[in-house]
Amino acid sequence: MQHQNRLRPFFENITFDRDDNEMILNFGPQHPSAHGQLRLMLHLQQEMITKSHPDIGYLHRGMEKMAENMIYNEFMPTTDRMDYIASSSNNYGFALAVEKLIGLEVPRRAKVIRMLLLEINRLMSHLFWLATTALDIGAMTVFLFAFREREYLMDLIEDYCGARLTHAAIRIGGVPLDLPDNFIADMRRFLDKLPENIKDYEDLLDTNRIWRMRMEGVGVISKEMALSWGCSGPMLRASGVAWDIRKEEPYELYSEVEFKVPVSDKGDNFARYRIYMEEMRQSAHILYQVADMYEGTIKNNQTDLMAHAPKYISAPKIDIMTQNYSLMQHFVLVTQGMRPPVGEVYIPTESPKGELGFYINSQGGPYPYRLKLRAPSFWHTGILTDLLPGHYIPDVVSIIGTTNIVFGEVDR
Amino acid sequence: MAQHKVNYTQNAGLPVALTTIDKVVNWGRSNSIWALTYGLACCGIEMMASGASRYDFDRYGTIFRASPRQADVMIVAGTLTKKHAEFIKRLYDQMTEPRWVISMGSCANTGGMFNTYATVQGVDRIIPVDLYLPGCAPRPETLQYGVMLLQKKIRAEKAIKSQKTKRLM
Amino acid sequence: MRAYTPKDDVQAKSYYTDRFYVAPQVPKQDVSSDEIFAADLEVIKAKFEVLEAYIQVEQMVVYINAKDNVDVIKLVKEELDYTQLSEMSAIDWIAKSGQFEIFYQMLSMGKRKRIRIKCFIGKDEAINSVEKLFRCADWSEREMYDMFGIEVNNHPFLKRILMPYDWEGYPLLKTYPLEGDEFAAWYEVDKIFGKEARDIIGPEIRDTARVDRYDSERFGRLGHEVPKGTKITGNEPKTPLAYQEEGGVFLIDRFDEEKSVIITDRNR
Repeated sequence: MQHQNRLRPFFENITFDRDDNEMILNFGPQHPSAHGQLRLMLHLQQEMITKSHPDIGYLHRGMEKMAENMIYNEFMPTTDRMDYIASSSNNYGFALAVEKLIGLEVPRRAKVIRMLLLEINRLMSHLFWLATTALDIGAMTVFLFAFREREYLMDLIEDYCGARLTHAAIRIGGVPLDLPDNFIADMRRFLDKLPENIKDYEDLLDTNRIWRMRMEGVGVISKEMALSWGCSGPMLRASGVAWDIRKEEPYELYSEVEFKVPVSDKGDNFARYRIYMEEMRQSAHILYQVADMYEGTIKNNQTDLMAHAPKYISAPKIDIMTQNYSLMQHFVLVTQGMRPPVGEVYIPTESPKGELGFYINSQGGPYPYRLKLRAPSFWHTGILTDLLPGHYIPDVVSIIGTTNIVFGEVDR
Repeated sequence: MAQHKVNYTQNAGLPVALTTIDKVVNWGRSNSIWALTYGLACCGIEMMASGASRYDFDRYGTIFRASPRQADVMIVAGTLTKKHAEFIKRLYDQMTEPRWVISMGSCANTGGMFNTYATVQGVDRIIPVDLYLPGCAPRPETLQYGVMLLQKKIRAEKAIKSQKTKRLM
Repeated sequence: MRAYTPKDDVQAKSYYTDRFYVAPQVPKQDVSSDEIFAADLEVIKAKFEVLEAYIQVEQMVVYINAKDNVDVIKLVKEELDYTQLSEMSAIDWIAKSGQFEIFYQMLSMGKRKRIRIKCFIGKDEAINSVEKLFRCADWSEREMYDMFGIEVNNHPFLKRILMPYDWEGYPLLKTYPLEGDEFAAWYEVDKIFGKEARDIIGPEIRDTARVDRYDSERFGRLGHEVPKGTKITGNEPKTPLAYQEEGGVFLIDRFDEEKSVIITDRNR
């Protein structure tokens, strides 16, 4: 027997009322549906859910408070751990918010590399979504196939920055590293094979009776509910609102690439699934164009990777190693941190999950006075309160799957 | 990491003398360790990746089981928060002996980069841990090496008498 | 006598401060420079008192009175087409003026504009809930209550959302230390094992720069491990990387360097 502890068994949680057939089911913080630590308390009437109450906070690590105690560059790896499936998107959102606060202009090559990283992260995130949703519904083959593609993408990112999962590959002011020599060629090779692979997944799932029966008509989110709950990204586009921040409020070089944004008006699981598959294709399309843009920057000899703003950004390494003033400046920036102007900013970006926003209120010091991370999955988990009643228990699993919740974001 | 010391060197540090039955049972146990899916945060993604197509976990005889009653090893992958600490203790108590715990990643080892109010500074404040894997997130190869080390450790233990319960104190 | 450290803001402070440093400001533009925002501001000004309004980083910021917040947001949602509440939270200014600043970040998809509505409330005041207008405020206000202790009137379920339900203290206040107060430090030990176990388990090790007396000796031995109690001479051989015991395991393939192939191209 382990040391005496104070935990009593939880039998009291399950209550049966003989006349009414009502039961309270606790979908505990640890369950096999691979989504992390969500605790759902469901009131069931026979098999149908009458009330649902999601309980979050099991992964709350206090990132917002950490930000008030860390300098801006030091906080960058922490943003990695928010949406840990597509880390560079969080890094990028934070870097963009600080750059807008300071008013920096990022050089073109850095922008191109950032676009590459962002779209590769979008592909990685969508493949992961497909893998875990299919695994929850029972299609294990799709899980193994999608992870195979994801491994190729993680190889690319590992070639670039050394880390598979938590990249910190984007810095405030640009990117620290240039692409290695074989990156574009490897990426093109991967993208050439990608349409066949997406077609494989669609062949396995699209016309599959089980998949369609579990996904069609389940988890319908109406337009009003989506707008009222602050949904964004594929959840909003599946409900009929054509809002994609990349098109409407373009940042980086999204105004220069041509791509389509899939929208559906059904609002059910199957619509979200179709949107994710289509977005993967569009990401591949964007990546081809960005690869050409990268070659354009090589031809035009635009080699700057970080913005030139000595008060806020360190000089390139070669200058630091040879020029005394750059070295002193770099030392001060690393030990004391950059001091942005006094003001506040809220910048939204389109992460694979939805609208990822960073609200930074700076009072001129090296630490932000208040940093609020607007994570799309927070409200996508909240919407489960209104969405689940009326569905059956197996639908809960497929709905949680398609809402694409990541608990690093929800709880921060 | 916890301050208290768990006494791992039983038998005063001398190698344990194993009989043939011990060896056979240990051979069976080490080659079919069933893991409890305990992916809490980012390390959980690497654990899933190590169970997926490229770094197949199944070749060690490992199947991920969702129920603690059917699992041998609990791979704590990710940050343990104070809200969740109670549940990890409950799940650990529900596991049947013999059971082992692998602490994967910095957050599970020592609280990691999250030196905050809501993070448990190391999973070994709550449950006794057999193997610590460093990294943030550790690569799947690290997890595989860790599993092989755990297999070696299992083969070195005595199997017949009930496993000497690891106590935190 | 030890120096007096003010307790009203215990977050990390910059070590070096320049007495004569005047921080620059992020530029603010006048609302009249943008027609859509100017028109929106006129509509709001017609019905409610606007304390201040300006445009910063292409978004309009409007300061209103705290008692008007529900009405202003209703007006802005219904008449000015700001259909989504992207975010709402609070900022702790207790050390400076004894107030909280609450902001609502809104988005209009038709006009492609974002607006931030802000108001100040006192330390012990409560604010009205906008949950009837936007369902997402349900959870945002719960989070605000959890992190700051700001009570919200007319909220359907004002309980803690991110911290455990029996937590004491409001984490994001400036007076709350990053590593947590005493309640936080012993929370999980008290809950699971009871107060008696505090001495046995010991306090949390929060020192990020902790160096053990034997660290350099042990790290120097990495790769050249020896059994416990051997006398170290410095000439130990390298421990080979062995995945299994010496004799191998029955029926399990042993890793053989000669027979293995190194794959360089993973995309094959």
